[in-house]
Amino acid sequence: MANGYAGRFLRVDLTDGLCSPFTVEEDRLRKFIGGSSLGAKLFLDGYPLDADPLAPESPLMVMTGPMVGSGFPGTSRFAVCAKSPLTGIWGESACGGTFGPELKKAGYDGIVITGRAEKPVVLSIVEGEAKLIDASGLWGRDIYETTDLLKEADKGAKALVIGPAGENLVRFAAIGNDKGHFVGRTGLGAVMGAKRLKAISVRGEGKLAKADEARFRELHREAVQQIKDSALAGSLHAMGSDANMDIGMINGDVPVKNWSVGEDFDLSSALSGPTLSETYLTRAHACAHCPVACKRVVRVPDGPFQTEEGPGPEYETCATFGTMIMNRDLAGVIKANEICNRLGMDTISCGAAIAWAMELFEKGTLTVKETDGLDLAWGNMESVLALLPRIARREGFGDLLAQGSLAAARKIGGNAVDAVVHVKGLDLPMHDPRGFHGMGLAYMMSNRGACHLQHAVLATEQGMASWPQLFPMKDDYKGTTSEGKAELVFHSENYGILGNSLSICHYLTDCLKPETIRDAFNAITGFGLDFDGLMACGARDWTLKRGINNLLGVTEKDDVLPKRIMTPLAEGAGAGSVPDVEKLKREYYALRGLDERGFPREEKLRELGLDDLRERLY
Amino acid sequence: MAKYNAMTQEWLDAWKEKIATSKEYREIAKNWEGSVSMIVNPDPEKGIPEPIYLFMDFWHGDVLEIALCDKAKAESAKFVMSGDYARWKQVAKKEVDSTKALMQGKLKLKGDLTYIVRNIKTVNKVIDLLCEIEAIWPDEA
Repeated sequence: MANGYAGRFLRVDLTDGLCSPFTVEEDRLRKFIGGSSLGAKLFLDGYPLDADPLAPESPLMVMTGPMVGSGFPGTSRFAVCAKSPLTGIWGESACGGTFGPELKKAGYDGIVITGRAEKPVVLSIVEGEAKLIDASGLWGRDIYETTDLLKEADKGAKALVIGPAGENLVRFAAIGNDKGHFVGRTGLGAVMGAKRLKAISVRGEGKLAKADEARFRELHREAVQQIKDSALAGSLHAMGSDANMDIGMINGDVPVKNWSVGEDFDLSSALSGPTLSETYLTRAHACAHCPVACKRVVRVPDGPFQTEEGPGPEYETCATFGTMIMNRDLAGVIKANEICNRLGMDTISCGAAIAWAMELFEKGTLTVKETDGLDLAWGNMESVLALLPRIARREGFGDLLAQGSLAAARKIGGNAVDAVVHVKGLDLPMHDPRGFHGMGLAYMMSNRGACHLQHAVLATEQGMASWPQLFPMKDDYKGTTSEGKAELVFHSENYGILGNSLSICHYLTDCLKPETIRDAFNAITGFGLDFDGLMACGARDWTLKRGINNLLGVTEKDDVLPKRIMTPLAEGAGAGSVPDVEKLKREYYALRGLDERGFPREEKLRELGLDDLRERLY
Repeated sequence: MAKYNAMTQEWLDAWKEKIATSKEYREIAKNWEGSVSMIVNPDPEKGIPEPIYLFMDFWHGDVLEIALCDKAKAESAKFVMSGDYARWKQVAKKEVDSTKALMQGKLKLKGDLTYIVRNIKTVNKVIDLLCEIEAIWPDEA
C-alpha cells in the first residue's frame, strides 16, 4: 500500500445491494494521484461513457487524495465526479468540510457507486464496514434535517446528503456535507437522487501512514507560519471569500444584472465581506485541518429574511443572489443561501437561472402568466424565495428552471438563449472575462464547462498569488489584455488541477509556497516528485478529461465564450474590452497539443502516458 | 513637470499637495479616518542604507500630514505597511498594484484589513496620485 493512501476503494452496486472493496495499482496512483484525476481514469477504463448521466450504469465517484487525512492545512477536500446531468459531459465538483478525512479514517480512498436502489438508502461506512440502510424515512427531508437525523443515529459520523432537489433530479442539484459545505457544480446531487441514494455516512479512526513523519511535521509547522504571515489568509479569515466583492467591483470582476452592467458600487458595498462581518456574521468556521477559517456563520435576527444561526453565503452566492439579480439586501442573500442549502441546489446555477428569467421578465418574454404569478422584477427577493422551493420540487415555472438555464432557454426559443451566460452548458461563475481575459480562456477550456476552480487563474491573473518558481510569471497582469494569457492559463491550470488531485484547497495553495506543498506531498507519499513531475500530473489530468469530453462529443466548436461576454460593457474596469478569443485559442491549443478539431494529438497522448485514451480517440 | 527625489520630504510634500488638491480624492475619502505609515526596508546596494519611515495622516477627505518620521512614530500609525525598497518603487511607478503586492506577501500590513478592503478606493486613489509624481529614485540618481 502506498503511503498516504488508505489502500483500498469501495465499489457499491445499489441495484443488487453489494459493497466490495477494490485496489488501484501504485503506478496508476503515481500517474493520477487522486481526486477527480483518478476518478476520470476509473471512469474511462470501467464504465460506459455513452450512458445517460442518470442511468443506473453511470457511476458516481467520491474521491479523496493522498494528503487528505494527513492534517496538513487545507487537505479536507474531496471530489465527486460523474457524467453531468446538467451539461452531458464530464462533471466534477470538489468540496471541503469533514467528509474527506473521515472517509480516509474509515478505510477508503474513494467510493464508486453504480446501480439504482429499489427504495431510498443510506450508504453507511463504519470502520471499513459498508452497508446499505433503508432511508425511506429520510426521503423528502431537507439537507439540514437529514444531517441532524444521521448524526442523532451516529454522533461521530460525517455525512454527504442530498435534499429534495437531488431527489427530484434538478439538473443543478448539489450535495451537502455537514450543512455548510457543498458539492455544488454540475448537478451531481441529481445523480445521487437518480440512484435513490439519500446520503453517505462515514466514521472511522484509522491513521494515515506517512513516508517521513518527522519531515511532515516540520513542513506542517512551516505551512502554519506561512498562513499566519499571509495577507490573503488574513483577508479570508476576516471577511470570507466575499472579500472579493469590493475589490472585484473596482477591477471589473463582478457581474451585475445578468452580466449586462459594468459596475455598481452601491450594490457591492451593500453585499461585501466587510458589510457581512459588520452585520450578520456570528463567527468564522473552518473545514477540517484549516487554520484559515474562511467559512461564515451568520444569523439574520429579524425582518422578512430572518434565519437561525447557520452557514453563510460565499462570494459567489452574494453575486448570484445579489449583484446578478440587483438585490441590495444582504439578508435576502443569506435567506436564499439557506433555502438553497436546505433544498440542495448549486447557488451559482440556480441564481444564474433566476437572473436569466428576470431579464426575460423585464423584456416581456416571460410574464406572470408563465411564472405562475410571480413578479420577477429585478431585485424582488420575495418572488425569488417563493420560486426556490418550486424549482426544487419541479412545480410549474420552477420545473422549467430546474432543467438549467440553457435547457430552459431552448424551450422558450427566440432570443432567450442569448441571455444565458454559459460555456458547455455550465453557467459562468461570478468572475467577468471582460475584466480578466485569462479567465475567459479558462472558462472556454475548463473540462467541466465554465469553471473558476479547475485551475489557479483567478489567483494568478488577479495577483493574489505569484509562483515564478513554477513557471514564468509577471509581477502584475493587466486584466483587459489577451497578451500572454494563454501561457498563464496553461500553467495555472496545471498547478490548479494538481491541487485538485492532491485534494488541497485552492485558497491554501494560494497562501502556501509551492515548495512546501511539494515537500509535504512527498513526505506523505514518498513519491519524490519534483515540480516538473507534479505539473505533468496536472497536464495529464487536463488531457485525460479533454479526451473523455471528446469521446462525449466535445470539439473545437464548443470552446467558445457566450454572446453576452463577447458584448463589451459600457462602464467599469472592463469597459470596451472583450477577450481575443481566436488568439487565446490558437496559442492555447499549441501549448496543450490540440489539433484543429480540438482533440489531443497522438504525440501529446504518448508524452503524457495516456495510451489507453489514444487508442479510444484514434 | 518638476522631478523630485523619491523618499525625500520634497517628494512627500508634492504628494501631499496632489492629494490636498484632488476633488476626487476628497469625495472618495470622505469616510477615511486615521494614519498610515510606510516602512522602506534598507537596501544599501540601491542607496537605502537605513530604513526609511513615512507617516501619513488622513481624516474625512483631508490630508493632515505626510512626513518622514522616526521608527516609533511610524509604528504608532493605525496601519503600518512595510516592504523592500524595490517593491515600494514598483508600487510608486505603477508597475505593481499595491493590493496585489500585499496579497502576494511582497508588502506587509499591520492593521485592520477589513477597513482597508472597505476603503480600497481611497487606498487606490492615494497610490494613483503618488504615481503621478515624476521622481528620481535613489538607485537611479
